[in-house]
Amino acid sequence: MPQSQIIVQDLSKTYRVPEREPGLRASLKSLYRKTYREVLAVKAISFRIEAGERVGFIGPNGAGKTTTLKMLAGLLHPSGGEARVDGFTPWQRKPDYLRQIAMVLGNKSQLMWDIPAHDTFRVLAEIYHVPASQFDATLGELVDLLDLGDLLSRPVRNLSLGERMKCELAASLIHHPAVLFLDEPTLGLDVSMQRRLRQFIAEYNHRHNATVILTSHYMADVVELCPRVILIHHGELLYDGPLAGLSEKLAPFKLIRLALSEPAGDNLPEEAHVVSQENGSLTLRVNRRETAAITAQLLRTLPVVDLSVEDPPIETVIDQIYQEGTV
Amino acid sequence: MNHRGGWALIQQTWLSWMQHRSFFFLLAFGWMVPPLIYLFVWSTAARGGTIGGMTRGAFVTYYLVLIVVNQLTYAQTNWTVGDLIRDGRLNQLLLYPMSPLYNTLATEIAGKVVYMIFVIPITAVLALGLRPELHLSVTQVIAFIPALGLAWLLRFFWGYWLALLAFWITRADSLLSLQDALIFLLAGQVAPVALLPGVLKTAAIALPFRYMIGFPVEVLTGQAAGIDLAAGFAFQIGWTAAAIILYLALWRRGVRHFTAIGG
Repeated sequence: MPQSQIIVQDLSKTYRVPEREPGLRASLKSLYRKTYREVLAVKAISFRIEAGERVGFIGPNGAGKTTTLKMLAGLLHPSGGEARVDGFTPWQRKPDYLRQIAMVLGNKSQLMWDIPAHDTFRVLAEIYHVPASQFDATLGELVDLLDLGDLLSRPVRNLSLGERMKCELAASLIHHPAVLFLDEPTLGLDVSMQRRLRQFIAEYNHRHNATVILTSHYMADVVELCPRVILIHHGELLYDGPLAGLSEKLAPFKLIRLALSEPAGDNLPEEAHVVSQENGSLTLRVNRRETAAITAQLLRTLPVVDLSVEDPPIETVIDQIYQEGTV
Repeated sequence: MNHRGGWALIQQTWLSWMQHRSFFFLLAFGWMVPPLIYLFVWSTAARGGTIGGMTRGAFVTYYLVLIVVNQLTYAQTNWTVGDLIRDGRLNQLLLYPMSPLYNTLATEIAGKVVYMIFVIPITAVLALGLRPELHLSVTQVIAFIPALGLAWLLRFFWGYWLALLAFWITRADSLLSLQDALIFLLAGQVAPVALLPGVLKTAAIALPFRYMIGFPVEVLTGQAAGIDLAAGFAFQIGWTAAAIILYLALWRRGVRHFTAIGG
C-alpha cells in the first residue's frame, strides 16, 4: 500500500505568551520581571492525507488551525510529535521540500506592490527554477482558468482585492506545487469572487492531482471544496471525516418545511417541534430516525401544498460545536 | 545557494524602486547634506592655510569622496529587516527555497544603482565648482577598491546583525539609530579621524565605524599609507569577519526562535 502524502502523528505546539495585569504598576513591574503563560495551541493531533485530497480545517478563531498549517508548511517548529509531508520533515525547510509546497495566506501578499504581477511571476519562476517552456505553459493555463487577462500588466497596487487574490493564487502555483496550503484564501472577497476562486481551486486540484488543505471561516468554501473536514477545537482534533457525517453525528434531527393551504391547527405530531410558523408556511424539527414516519403522517393529516426535508444548515451545526466544544 | 533566484529578485526590486526614483533621490539628497555642511565648514576654516596638514582643496576632496563612499556603503535595507520580522512578512520569505538574505541583498544592490544615478552627477558638478585637490597614485586606487568593498560588507553585516535582534527585542531599530550616531561621530564625517581629539581618535581607530566610511576615503586621498594602511586593513578585515560571524550566529538562533514562537 503506498504511503500517505501527509502523515501527522501526535503533533503538538505550545506557545509561551508574556502576560501582565492591567495598570501602570503592573506595566512597571513587567519591565524588570516578565511573567509568561504556556498556551497549548495544538494538542497531540494525528491524521493522514492522501495525494490529491481536498481537506478543510475548520474550527473557531484560535482553535489551532493556522498553527497546524504553519507547522506543515515548515514555518513553525512543533513542541512535540512528528509530521512527514512528501517524505520530508517540514520544519527542516529543505529547498527540495519548499519546491513541493505553496502556502497562500489570505491576509499577506507575496506580490510586489509597485510592479505588475507578471514581473513577480517571472522572479518566482527563477526562484523555483521553472524552465521557460513550463513557465509559459503554466502561466497560459492560469490566465485561462483564473481569467487573469489584462490584470497581469497592471501594477498590483491598482488591482482590487479580488483581482489581487487571483494573482496571489496564480503566483503560488507557478512552480506546480504538489501540496497547497490555503489559509483563508477568500478572506474579504465578495460572494461571486469567492465562488470563482473555489471553482478554480477545485479545477486545479482535479487537473493536477494537487493536495489542497484549506482553512476558512466561510462554510461555503468548505462545503463546496472539501469532501473531507478536520475539525479542530481548543487544539484538539474533534472530528475527521466527511462534512455530511459531521452533520449527522452532531445534529440528530432534520428540518421539515411545509407549505399549507390552510392552518395546521392541532394536527401536528407530538414528536415534531415547531421552529417557525407564518402565513401558511411551517418549519418543524424532527428526530432524524423518525423523519420518514412523521413525513408520512404529515402528508396524511395536513393540507400540504409543498414539503421538503432538509439537514439543518451547516453553520448552525458548526456554531453548536464551537459553543459546546464537543461533537 | 540560489543565485539564479537572487539575481531575478535584484532585477525585480530595481524595477520596483525605479517606480519611486524621485523618493529615493530625495533620500539620497538627505544623506548628502551632513557631509556637505562639513565640507563647507572645514574648507572655509582652512582657507588660506592648513588644518592638521589638510588644505582647503584637500578637505573638498575628502568630503566629495566621503559623499560617494557613504552612499555606496549605507545599508539602508537593515532598517526594513526588523519590520519583516516584527510584522511576520518573514514567513513569506521562509517559504521560498532561497535564503532570505537574498531579499535584503536585492534591495541593497537595487538601491545602490538608483542612488548612484543621482549622486554621481551631483558630486561631479560639485567637483567642477569647488576645485578639489587630488594627487592619485596607482597604489591608492588599487588599495581603495578592496577598502571600499570591505567597508560595504562591514557596514552591511554590522547593521544586519543589529537588525536581527528584532527576533528578541521589539524595537531593535533603536540600536541602528545609535549606530548611525556613532558613525556620524567616529567614521570620519564630523571631521577626518586624524583631526579628532585624543580619546575620540583612539576610539575611532579601535571601533568598527571608521572602517565603514572614513578608511576607504583616507586610502584614496593618500592619508592612510604605509603602516597605517596595513593596520587599517587588519582592523577592517577583523571587524568584517566579526560582523559576519555575529550575523550567522544570530540568524540561525533567530530563525529557530521565530519558528518556535510563530511570526
